[in-house]
Amino acid sequence: MKDEYVHMFKAVWAICWKDIKLYYAKGPIVVTGVIFPIFLWMAFYAGKGLELKEGLASLIILTLLFTASSVTPIIAPWETRQRTLEMLLSRPVTVRWVLVGDVLASTIFGIVFVTPIIALGAILNITPANPFLTIVAITFTAVGLSSLGVMFSAIPTDTPADVILLSSLVKLPLMFVSGILVPITRLPSWILPIALLSPITYPADFVRMQYLGSSFLPPYLSLIFTVLFALVFMILALELHEKSIFKRLEKR
Amino acid sequence: MYAIEAFDLHKSFGNVKAVNGVSLKVRKGEICGLLGPNGAGKTTTIRMLTGLLKPDRGYALIMEHDVVKESIKVKKLIGVVPEEANPYPDLSAWDNLIFVGRLYGIPNYEIRKRASDLLKLLDLYTMKDRKAKNLSKGQRQKLLIAMALIGNPKVLFLDEPTSGLDVLSARKIRELILEMKNEGITVFLTTHNIEEAGELCDRVAIIRNGRIVAEGAPNELKIKAGAYTYVTIIFNKPLENCKLDFIKPYEYKVQSSKLLVICSRPAEVVVKIVEYAKKYGLDILDIKISPPSFEEVFVRLATGEV
Repeated sequence: MKDEYVHMFKAVWAICWKDIKLYYAKGPIVVTGVIFPIFLWMAFYAGKGLELKEGLASLIILTLLFTASSVTPIIAPWETRQRTLEMLLSRPVTVRWVLVGDVLASTIFGIVFVTPIIALGAILNITPANPFLTIVAITFTAVGLSSLGVMFSAIPTDTPADVILLSSLVKLPLMFVSGILVPITRLPSWILPIALLSPITYPADFVRMQYLGSSFLPPYLSLIFTVLFALVFMILALELHEKSIFKRLEKR
Repeated sequence: MYAIEAFDLHKSFGNVKAVNGVSLKVRKGEICGLLGPNGAGKTTTIRMLTGLLKPDRGYALIMEHDVVKESIKVKKLIGVVPEEANPYPDLSAWDNLIFVGRLYGIPNYEIRKRASDLLKLLDLYTMKDRKAKNLSKGQRQKLLIAMALIGNPKVLFLDEPTSGLDVLSARKIRELILEMKNEGITVFLTTHNIEEAGELCDRVAIIRNGRIVAEGAPNELKIKAGAYTYVTIIFNKPLENCKLDFIKPYEYKVQSSKLLVICSRPAEVVVKIVEYAKKYGLDILDIKISPPSFEEVFVRLATGEV
């Protein structure tokens, strides 16, 4: 039993290493992870005279949204098209291990991009109230967003554009209704029910609380929902792929 | 003990029955070939035997382990070269091998040693740092075989291993398959190259419309298919004016002093010809017996002529 777990961890780590080498350590992906959140953030914050710490909290979540969910949606369709997925699944791994490896790589990618923002805040003496819980929230947010990306890729297609379209249709509206750029309290009241359904509302509110000291929801509730959404997305992603993988392979 | 056992495998895609009750057994250390026309169910069968597809009905065992229920155990015992699969194009040959080695949970120092040995064996060592996308088709196929061998498999599945390769690469891969057999590895392959199957395989199964229609050693199948042998005899003088009644039960052709007889029992024909030559004072200058080609056997069995 112990050997099986050791094998599983080694295989998951190998898949994570492969993903980082093939997909994340690439110029265009790195540039996208930097350019999109920074310029979007600047578009909202420049010249509005807002506090720097408010901007920092927004930038952290915005960066996570653009990094942790950017590549996971395309890995499965891309590898199906390249005919590497079949080669991979012929090895002693399960679909679940492959997906956990994908989520791990994406989570690391998200955290790597958020770390300099937190470090910059620390240099400017802007630190979260509880650094440990902030790291927990950021990690689970990255896991949740990575898993959300994996969920999209469960559609048994070999055309990455199909999945990117779906992913963008969900992700971009979430950015506006989740209180990332504009706090929920300042959003029109009719958006509130939608905001409460968004998985990003909770980490955004929690991180805002850590940096600004005030939040819309009780912080413990936000943290619990952040962890819950991550787990639910992860389980859903694994289940959906488990169901669709044979269909995906049958299509080849 | 059998290395591969399949019991009544069925698989449909929508209304199309791709595999319709395939059962087969492959002994340890054998090379077994699965032959059939396009769309006969070869790749679907191999995918079910390697755990890439779940059968709708039936089951398969590899070294007595159930392919579906014990998939990780089975995948550790097998090496697979899927049809038209690719190594990761943006990883080097070396990185592809190291990555696959890690999936088997092999310690790093051992993976490196095996990777080096395999790349040397397959004449790829000098291009180990080249990205897979920059390798030729033959080199990529050899890399896929190396990736299938890095886990020290007991059973090797090769789906069309020499398809689309140049003569030299195909020959190298055939030599490698025979080496694997000598090392005790069971090899299960599908191929379009019928003569290759006849040359390599200890046993061959012919699949048609998702069913195994014939199974046995290539020579047994030749007999089973009732394929014809060509007997060519050259006499010392033309046969135009000779009576050839004795040969009439067989199909034959005369060209001056050359007689071509198409038959299924060549020994019987040769005896009759020698008797005939003696009786009419003819000298036999040459006798050539050409056994039926395996391709002919395949065509007869795969098209249902038999």
